[in-house]
Amino acid sequence: MSDLKPILLVEDNPRDLELTLAALDKCQLANDVIVARDGEEALRMLTRRDPETGKPTQLPAVVLLDLKLPKIDGLEVLERVKNDPETRHVPIVMLTASREESDLVRSYRLGVNAFVVKPVDFKAFFEAIRDLGAFWAILNEPPVGCARRPAGIPSAGKGA
Amino acid sequence: MTAGDLDLDACSREPIHIPGTIQPHGMLLAFSGGSDPVLIRASANAAPALRLPLDEAPGQPLERALHPLIAAPLRSFLAAGPVPSRPVPVALADLPGAGRHQLLAHAVRDAVGGGAVILELERLDGLETGLLDHVYPRMREALERLDALNTPRDLLTCAAREVRALTGFDRVLIYRFDADWHGTVVAEDGNGRLPSYMDLRFPASDIPTQARELYRLNRQRLIPDAGYAPVPLVPAGAEPLDLSFSVLRSVSPVHVAYMRNMETASSMSVSILLHGALWGLVSCHHREPKAASYAVRSACDLIAQILSVRIAAVEDRRDAEHRIALQAIQARLLAAMAQADPFIAGLAERPDDLLRFANATGAAVVFERRCTLVGDTPTEEQVRGLVDWLAAQGEPERFETDSLPALYPPAAAFEGKAAGLLAIAVSKLHASYVLWFRPEVVRTVRWGGDPRKPLDRDGQRLHPRASFETWKETVRHRAQPWSAAERDTAAALRHAVIGIVLRKAEELAALSRELARSNKELESFSYSVSHDLRAPFRHIVGYAELLQELESGRLSATGKRYLDTIVDAANSAGTLVDNLLHFSQMGRSELTPVAVDMNALLAEVRETLAPETAGRAIAWDVAPLPTVRGDPVMMRLVLQNLLSNAIKYTRGREPARIAVGCEDRPGEILFFVRDNGVGFNQAYEKKLFGVFQRLHRNEEFEGIGIGLANVRRAVDRHGGRTWAEGRLDDGATFFFTLPKAGAAKPDPRDLQERSEA
Repeated sequence: MSDLKPILLVEDNPRDLELTLAALDKCQLANDVIVARDGEEALRMLTRRDPETGKPTQLPAVVLLDLKLPKIDGLEVLERVKNDPETRHVPIVMLTASREESDLVRSYRLGVNAFVVKPVDFKAFFEAIRDLGAFWAILNEPPVGCARRPAGIPSAGKGA
Repeated sequence: MTAGDLDLDACSREPIHIPGTIQPHGMLLAFSGGSDPVLIRASANAAPALRLPLDEAPGQPLERALHPLIAAPLRSFLAAGPVPSRPVPVALADLPGAGRHQLLAHAVRDAVGGGAVILELERLDGLETGLLDHVYPRMREALERLDALNTPRDLLTCAAREVRALTGFDRVLIYRFDADWHGTVVAEDGNGRLPSYMDLRFPASDIPTQARELYRLNRQRLIPDAGYAPVPLVPAGAEPLDLSFSVLRSVSPVHVAYMRNMETASSMSVSILLHGALWGLVSCHHREPKAASYAVRSACDLIAQILSVRIAAVEDRRDAEHRIALQAIQARLLAAMAQADPFIAGLAERPDDLLRFANATGAAVVFERRCTLVGDTPTEEQVRGLVDWLAAQGEPERFETDSLPALYPPAAAFEGKAAGLLAIAVSKLHASYVLWFRPEVVRTVRWGGDPRKPLDRDGQRLHPRASFETWKETVRHRAQPWSAAERDTAAALRHAVIGIVLRKAEELAALSRELARSNKELESFSYSVSHDLRAPFRHIVGYAELLQELESGRLSATGKRYLDTIVDAANSAGTLVDNLLHFSQMGRSELTPVAVDMNALLAEVRETLAPETAGRAIAWDVAPLPTVRGDPVMMRLVLQNLLSNAIKYTRGREPARIAVGCEDRPGEILFFVRDNGVGFNQAYEKKLFGVFQRLHRNEEFEGIGIGLANVRRAVDRHGGRTWAEGRLDDGATFFFTLPKAGAAKPDPRDLQERSEA
């Protein structure tokens, strides 16, 4: 499983976190899900380097990034990731409750890969997460020698 | 230029102060200055005043040359001090064979700059009553009567009467000059033997500049007999003698001809001066030859000078009163404006005040393209043309002219109403003006002498009627000029109006600042609603569904229904918030107007609504629609909401009929969507377009009641209107308009594209 890249979920609201995890769980993705609770923590994970090679130790398959975050907000995380040559290829999906146009425009300008306004309807949310997860975590970059987890085993690793 | 003009021009070049001749009703003697005066000139009729023959006397000392009856009083007069520059009485002398004479002397500069003394001997035959002791009591009475009067007209009439009483002339006229030196007969007194010239106008050319200057310097002139034979001065050929102040000075042949044409044999005039400038003339005429003594002339002169001072005082007071009255009018106009909307319309609500304010016969108020006419004015179209022209003059704050046709040729068409224009600009943003009009002055003038009677021009050039005709030519296309008081009060009104405009603008600016602030608050409120309110609803739905999944096996049927209801309720709350946000966003977002093909847009919208019409029989009746200029997103939303409503509310109709059409109206295009659905009670029409206003229960027709609010807002943003007509259970028609030009979007590209549409 270690060669299957994880999904990094950055979400501060515990309820949204739990619901998103539930949605991801229902999608039955093989990937581990690592959770960061604020922008600082997310950046720490994304910029962790191997002391010998200087390369990032573990980059996620996709980052699901909430827009409004404590300490360092989502737009800044996005900007730093997209400005770092080592990390800029990591796909980032913005998740937000906001419809503010300027956020959307700014996100695209900063190189976001997708932007999802969290729907109220849980079913729609589930579908959105499933599509996103499927697209970015599996179809986009199928890891070599890794099979999908068989259907019906409801287990997605939950990182700290 | 006419031949007559040439004559008068010649007259204006004539050196009338050095004619070299005198009138025959007296004798003239000139002496060199100094202590031993020598006779240097004598009039050819001076023999009775001389000791020596006329041809021997010149060059002789005073006592040798003159008759002792003249020499003695003159010698003592010269001994008494310097000789004044204007004629003063020296003595009376009874010359044997020549009768009684008034001796008058004054000093002049001779041709080489030396001093000379002119002695004039004016015949007093038959003029015993002309002596000072006879004149003085009458003069004092006249002054007392003048003193009791308080209007210019009364003063002038009284002065004319008193002068005639003093002089005995057939007719006394008082002329007044205007700023252009055109004259008007403002008072008259006569015995009927000569025609009336009251109100006669005469052009400035009738009294040329240097004649006016002589009138100013030498206030009295007497021509006892216009048929006189001029008496030359001897010796002839000597340096000309300046006779400017001589009482006997011969007059211009032009003037004599004028008198002959006026059928008067004698005339006397006294200049009226005010503050040193020529104000007017007292002009006396008699059919037969007639003289007036020095004392009588002096009395008339005193009356004339007192008259001008009295009139000036009365007019100053009237002017002050007039200005106060104008202020009262202005106050009333401002009060009317304070209650009117738009405020400027208040001016037109007091038409009499508005006209009296500038002593005008017509007025127009043009404000933000609205035009109100008061009194006698050109047509609205002409006024608008005039305003456009005014606006093109670089927006002067105040504009006035008494000859509009000369500046603005189209005004010739309405100079009978507006040859004079006084205008004030009351707004720089729009071509907004208050205008006052005056007709061509010729049309307002009356003259007792019947100016319409055809003029016999042959030999009649120098005639009052010719003067009147000439004067009419000079004032053709002109109005009565605007007075200083009228110009000042117009400026004051402008100031007051601009003050109101500025205050309104400031209020508006404050209001829009306040609006911007509350809009911003609303925006941030929307944002927090978006971010904060949606989340709890999302959580409710999410957890309820998780619960349903996890525990459905253990829930009762009722429990499951409860959970479903929770999910439904929270879902619809979420939708509500989303729609509300969308609505507020539509108010905030920028319009990006482009050409929108309404036909294509309608087809697209119908396609997106296809799922809602599936399985329904709908008879569509769609007319060809134009291309309009608008925001495509908003236009789509308008059509989508209206069609969606029509589809929704015709549910159950077989067949459902939905018609879409448009109508090209002046200034706007009208669109409508008509259906044969459930309709509505027209009484609730206003409610239809409100946010969250619904006329149906949710079980009947789903929805949250924001669609039509969105339609109205989108159409409002385009400067259009929305309304609906309907009857309960009998269908509904929803209308909206889009302006073609100007009103909402003054962008010229708009106009172009709309006109192409």
